Amino acid sequence: MPGSLPNVTHACFALSYLLALAVELARLRWPRPGLRVSGLILGAAGLFAHSLFLALRQPTPATAYGGLLVVAWVLAVFYLYGTLHDGKRAWAVFVLPLVLGLVSLAFVAAAGQDAVPLGLPWESEHRLWGALHGIFVLCAAVGVSVGAVASVMYLIQANRLKRKKNPLGGLKLLSLERLETMNRRAVTLAFPFLTAGLLLGAVLLRQYHDFGDNWFSPKVVGTVGLWAVFLLLLYLRYVVHVTGRRLARLTLVAFALMIAVLVAAHPFAASSGGTP
Amino acid sequence: MNLRVVGCNYRTAAVELREKLAFDAAKQDRAVSELTTRFGCEVVLLSTCNRVELYTARPPQESPFDLEQAALYLAEIHGLTPDAVRPLLYERADAEAVVHLTRVTASLDSLVVGEGQIAGQVKAAFDFAQKAAATGALLNALFPHALRVAKRVRTETGIARGHVSVSSVAVDYVRQVFDHFGDKTILVIGAGKMARLTLKHLEALQPKRILVTNRSPAKAAEVAGMCGGVPVPWDQLDAALAETDIALSTTGAAEPIMPASRFNAAVRPKRGSGTLVVLDIAVPRDFDPAIHDGDRVCLFNIDDLTRVREQTIAQRQKHLAPAEAIIAAEAKKFLDDWNRRKSGPVIQQLRTEFDKVRAEVLAGILGKLNGKLTDADKAYIEGGFRLLQNKLLHGPIAALQQASKDGESRPLLDAVRKLFRLGAG
Repeated sequence: MPGSLPNVTHACFALSYLLALAVELARLRWPRPGLRVSGLILGAAGLFAHSLFLALRQPTPATAYGGLLVVAWVLAVFYLYGTLHDGKRAWAVFVLPLVLGLVSLAFVAAAGQDAVPLGLPWESEHRLWGALHGIFVLCAAVGVSVGAVASVMYLIQANRLKRKKNPLGGLKLLSLERLETMNRRAVTLAFPFLTAGLLLGAVLLRQYHDFGDNWFSPKVVGTVGLWAVFLLLLYLRYVVHVTGRRLARLTLVAFALMIAVLVAAHPFAASSGGTP
Repeated sequence: MNLRVVGCNYRTAAVELREKLAFDAAKQDRAVSELTTRFGCEVVLLSTCNRVELYTARPPQESPFDLEQAALYLAEIHGLTPDAVRPLLYERADAEAVVHLTRVTASLDSLVVGEGQIAGQVKAAFDFAQKAAATGALLNALFPHALRVAKRVRTETGIARGHVSVSSVAVDYVRQVFDHFGDKTILVIGAGKMARLTLKHLEALQPKRILVTNRSPAKAAEVAGMCGGVPVPWDQLDAALAETDIALSTTGAAEPIMPASRFNAAVRPKRGSGTLVVLDIAVPRDFDPAIHDGDRVCLFNIDDLTRVREQTIAQRQKHLAPAEAIIAAEAKKFLDDWNRRKSGPVIQQLRTEFDKVRAEVLAGILGKLNGKLTDADKAYIEGGFRLLQNKLLHGPIAALQQASKDGESRPLLDAVRKLFRLGAG
């Protein structure tokens, strides 16, 4: 690998994503094929730099910094896949601001947290369980993020339909049915991951109770709250059959809560500090 | 170029007059054949519900098939008097005719600008004439040009963006709500003409089933029979609506058949979480607009659909100027190419003739000087003669090319042929 690659910074991929977003916004005004290709190239370059950054720096997802960057990466993959798969829709306009927001938040969080958390004297089997806990929670986070993107699109589409806007004018969006399905699948798939992650986290927390009274740390309380919101979402969807608009709003609440949980300090990271 | 288009359209002739001048397949066949044999024209006859146009081309030295001849012929074939036909007609000649055909094909001259049918109709008319061997060099070049430019106009401008029929707009709305239709139920309420047209569009979505209800069971059965649907008794309207995804309503009822109070009491509670799209194209309206929320119930009435249609038409008007610019540039290119094609053979003949004379003279000189010249000397002399020939021809060729560009090459071409004793090429 060339020696310059380790110099990849946040700025590399954040700038690429920003330019890709600018190009996609320009494409809404001037729908030229050249702009679509340029947007794709910039988005792909951003994703490449982002992947390289994660591979080289290996920020741990247990920190706000690492967690936010990994979720942003998954969303960037989602954006690029969506754009390649269905180029008529304005995926970038919805997903890239979220990606940029998460990257910015990660950058801010980096000032207050350590990349390598905890320093726990775990044995290898406990490391495995810890890693599994992290993976489950991240999968849930990805599900909520995808659900949030679908929810924003849903609310815009429903608003346009309510106001009876020209169906072929403005932003090209997916149908209400497709967006609702996307949201449903994302939330339904994320729930078991969140439950498993939460249970595993509780077991680990109980084993390492020496680390203090962490049961009421913001991260734990927030995750339990997130789980409760998920449960409410599923109940409202499958039992009460509330409107898609309400579900979309509640999914956005879940997303905001998830960001808060990701940003909150990990219960095992009490002694951490510094920048990655 | 000796090209004419003579015809009438929705601007110059009312529909009842256009009907009298319209050509069915048999008359079209007869006309194309007669115009070719009797009048010695290349001909393409375009007959649609909005226009009847004769595109004719004759050799440059002959008189064109003008408005007067066309009026006489149209009167003859349709059994009308020339005086009745003449005032309805317009005529475009040469460059104007090229632009006119391209505008027509690109749907800039249509009643609804940007409509998609006309290009197909022009192509069909051209194919018909070609099969009847009624086209020659000019029309064989002109029509493909017009079709190509029309395609360019449609893809490079927004002239054809959006839909302008109420039925298509209705389907566009439905597609904003639903993604797939294989599991959807359509309920047709009433049996108006408009419903049948919109239903045709909805049928193309291949729904799971179609229910039809009407106050008259016989009419419900008739419409159901036409679309492969299932008739539903009128008194089961609420139950049918509860299990419907798309409702198409077009009754002739004087009062709304579904006030909000009835819908909220008898339909809404029975529905699951799915969205109901109501296309209410009845006048007066069948459904109370208050039931529309853009989420569970999306109601679009005839005013909503017409408004979108008008917006689309207005949007298309904005693209007229770029479309006209493309057509003007392409017409110029076509005319330049056509004129160049006409002077090209004469220039070629001129060059061949001069080459021949040069070779003869050179052969004589080199024969007399045989043995006294080196190969380098011979090449030098040959080069000199070629240079002289090119210098002599430069003036006439440049003048011919310029005249071709200006579209006035015929007198000059005749003069060059006579001066240099060239055969008629």
